[in-house]
Amino acid sequence: MKFLPDQVVVRLQTGMQTPDLSGTRYRALELLGQGGMGAVWLVQDSILQRPVALKILTAENSSADLAARLMQEAVVLARLEHPGIVPVHDAGTLPDGRTFYCMKLVEGKTLDHYVLKLPLRERLRLFQRIAEPLAFAHSRGIIHRDLKPSNVMVGSFGEVLIMDWGLAKVLNVTGAPSAQVPGAVEESSLTKQVSEQVMDAFGGFSPAKQVSGHEFTRAVKPGASAPENATAHGTILGTPGYMAPEQERGDVNLIDQRTDVFALGSILQYLLQEPPGSQQSDSYSRPLRAICAKSMSAEMSDRYRTVQELAADVGRYLDGMPVSAYRENIFERTARLVSRNRVAVVLVLAYLFMRLLFILFSRH
Amino acid sequence: MAPNPQGDAFPLTQHSVVAAAQGRDPEQRSRAIDAITTSYWRPAYKYVRLRWHVEREDAEDFTQDFFSRLLEKDFLASYDPAKGKLRTFLRTCIDRLFMNQLRDAHRQKRGEAAIHISLDFEEAEHELAASTQTGSAEDYFEKEWVRTLFALAVERLRTQCRQAGKTTQFAVFERYDLGDEDNRPSYAVLAEEFRIAATDVTNYLAFARREFRRCVLAQLRDMTGSDEEFHREARSLLGVASK
Amino acid sequence: MSNKIVLGLVLGGVLGILDGLTAWFTPAVRAGIVGIVFGSMFKGLIAGVLIGVFARKVHSLALGIVFGLAVGAFLAWIIAFMQHGYYFQIMLPGAMVGLIVGYATQKYGASGQLQRA
Repeated sequence: MKFLPDQVVVRLQTGMQTPDLSGTRYRALELLGQGGMGAVWLVQDSILQRPVALKILTAENSSADLAARLMQEAVVLARLEHPGIVPVHDAGTLPDGRTFYCMKLVEGKTLDHYVLKLPLRERLRLFQRIAEPLAFAHSRGIIHRDLKPSNVMVGSFGEVLIMDWGLAKVLNVTGAPSAQVPGAVEESSLTKQVSEQVMDAFGGFSPAKQVSGHEFTRAVKPGASAPENATAHGTILGTPGYMAPEQERGDVNLIDQRTDVFALGSILQYLLQEPPGSQQSDSYSRPLRAICAKSMSAEMSDRYRTVQELAADVGRYLDGMPVSAYRENIFERTARLVSRNRVAVVLVLAYLFMRLLFILFSRH
Repeated sequence: MAPNPQGDAFPLTQHSVVAAAQGRDPEQRSRAIDAITTSYWRPAYKYVRLRWHVEREDAEDFTQDFFSRLLEKDFLASYDPAKGKLRTFLRTCIDRLFMNQLRDAHRQKRGEAAIHISLDFEEAEHELAASTQTGSAEDYFEKEWVRTLFALAVERLRTQCRQAGKTTQFAVFERYDLGDEDNRPSYAVLAEEFRIAATDVTNYLAFARREFRRCVLAQLRDMTGSDEEFHREARSLLGVASK
Repeated sequence: MSNKIVLGLVLGGVLGILDGLTAWFTPAVRAGIVGIVFGSMFKGLIAGVLIGVFARKVHSLALGIVFGLAVGAFLAWIIAFMQHGYYFQIMLPGAMVGLIVGYATQKYGASGQLQRA
């Protein structure tokens, strides 16, 4: 048996980790990060002469479901054309059999790093911008399900992008608005196309049983064992601390945009801490606390119905207006009005003070 | 080490080599133990030499003894994949056996070994001298485990390429990826040496690397105790999918 | 939201009335308090209209304040001139009222252009 010196072992190990991109238009440059399911590589697109990011399945492919899930993520992203959602350029299978998709290389910082030295008002304005791409995704029937500060990036131009749609759920809509889901998508064509496209990419699967919520794992061949991270009822997907109760319970059929509202509320709570992420809180105002509490209600019906409503309430707070989540008493209302119209109040008080002085002097 | 004609050190009649070693079929058990021995005797020998500061002859005897007992005494019966990695279990068994023998002052020279793999201790001794020893003995064992994994995978690849009539591809891979860093030839030099086009060098290397990856994963199956351990090791060591 | 001219009118009128009422604390002029209040209110209405028109044309907080100050002071000076005295006591509050109306019409109230559209 040939003896392999240390440097050769290291070289081989590095080579093993580098994706086999032979025959593709990409050239591997650097590993950017690694998650539970996939790794993201910085690669050079040799045709368009630009750096892009390649997300590649890394988990041992014991089940084709993981490959199909990655492909679904790509298909979902491809349908969500929005400035706040990272665009997908390409997807397929590498020569070594790994599933991949290629997306825009985002240069910037994740939210948790970006906001560290930002004042509160700036953080809140940033928060409003997170809601925009999310609202768009919801309008297309897609729920993110894994929102957290590390999945939000702020680019070098200050643009906000929502990343990692690997756990996204495509809502199945039968064509009629659901009474349970306010603002539900009224067209089923998107979800149908998404599911068909994914299934076409992995021919041989039996037709999916159509269930509400359209859980992708129903597309697994009959008789196959339930894969890891399947979203069958009872399975939990998401990140602790940002998961809504229905997610924690594994009630996948209940999941809708209010699940993302919960996660967004958790992000808001995160941003309100001083410093962000420090778990030190309670120094922020009651209206903001009320907004957080409403977003993160255990009961779905008690939360904001949409992310736009949540963002609008934060906007009202920033404008010095009353927020829907909090009922002010007379003193708080007065204090808010005074705070909002500080200059006018000072001028009137100055006028009255001057008048008082005149009255006093005229008596003497 | 002599892999079977298919290039597999262990034919996968069982999904796990440990499951086969713990099974009732004596032939399967024997072959499973042989596979484990092939994968682990080098790291074990080197570990004993370093950890216990044992002379070469004593380390040879001990290594032979240990792997014989692996089969005869059914050490693997007590192994539970849920509790840890196979290599950690084996290393612990090595330590325990050594301590027991030290206590009993009872290191037997075994006459006829029960194991069927030839253990080239001369080669292992050279390797020990050639490798760098940093960190603890346990870290060294881990490192040697990786080295053995890759070395056995190279042998698998060699056999497979020979059988498939792709010896040139293997030779190019061996010259370029397994060569000394200081003397690494360029693609042009390789092309001239093997009388192929420079583009063929790229293609041959890509082919060989792809196949090497498959060989590593196949070999990893022989060296892990369960599916979970295999997946974990594949992910952490190689960051790979196994297709 | 009322437009800037209306806002100026209302604010100028109210502050003018308030201004006039404070004359009651000056015994020498107490007897003519009704006339003073009406005069002050009228002055406030004129100032409010002028400042409101200015605010519709010119969107600058600083200029609005300066203009309000000037208009308020000028109109107050006319009143003081007619009174042949109490220049300081009339002009300073008048200027302040103009300042307040100038600020308010710049900050609040619709400009009216959007409404026309």
